[in-house]
Amino acid sequence: MADSNMFSTLTVSGYGMRAQSERVRVIAQNIANSDTAPLKPGEMPYTRQQITFKNHLDRKIGEKLVEVKDIKNDTKAEYPLKYMPGHPAADAEGYVRMPNVNGLIETMDMKEATRSYEANLGMFNQTREMMNRTIGLLQ
Amino acid sequence: MTTDISLFKGLNAKMNYLNQRQKVISQNIANADTPHYQPSDLTKVDFGRVLKKVTGDKSISMAATQANHMPPPNEVATGKIKEARETYEVAPDANGVILEEQLIKSNDVQIDYNLMINLYRQNVDMIRTSLGRRS
Repeated sequence: MADSNMFSTLTVSGYGMRAQSERVRVIAQNIANSDTAPLKPGEMPYTRQQITFKNHLDRKIGEKLVEVKDIKNDTKAEYPLKYMPGHPAADAEGYVRMPNVNGLIETMDMKEATRSYEANLGMFNQTREMMNRTIGLLQ
Repeated sequence: MTTDISLFKGLNAKMNYLNQRQKVISQNIANADTPHYQPSDLTKVDFGRVLKKVTGDKSISMAATQANHMPPPNEVATGKIKEARETYEVAPDANGVILEEQLIKSNDVQIDYNLMINLYRQNVDMIRTSLGRRS
């Protein structure tokens, strides 16, 4: 077992926060591009990005940390068609293929990421409080 | 050093244990959204017995000079990290971390740690008094 070091607890929580903030960044990118239509007919619009995490052992500090595994295109979600005959990317019937970003899903995902971030921050603060109390023994 | 006084040794052991537990809990929380992650916890250590062992210590033990030496019997034990077999709930991505459960655990750690700190302080004050200094 690795020796218990409060600084490594802070590192673990810090990596957790980093992973969650990366997730928030991906969600923000999805929401910002939720109306990014293609430029020409037949082209693909913006595809929703999906982030995955993994548990990874950092040998340098001997701790299991959370890391971003990869950020992939979500090809399973359907691209909705929108009737916009005047749009440069409209097909013969006047439909434009729009990004497969669902605002509701993104909002809920964002809420979850925020809560997880807060939980990590709470652990960080609590550990810091413990450290401060230990230092307080010197007084 | 205060660590040679047996009561402090016991307190130290418990604080060490709490530190480790806090780390395990923060690993669980950091991995709250990692697929196929099962939360772990430290096994419980009976600190009453540990304290008895430590305070009843009048023998001289051999020094452990290598990591694979067996610890002397009066050495304080630490908990082992154990993965939870069953959790209340497992998410569709096979993640078993429940934030509320982990936060309650970390709150327990916090309370116990505060208790240890206060006991430590009381004992230091006692020693100070016996040294004739008023603090």
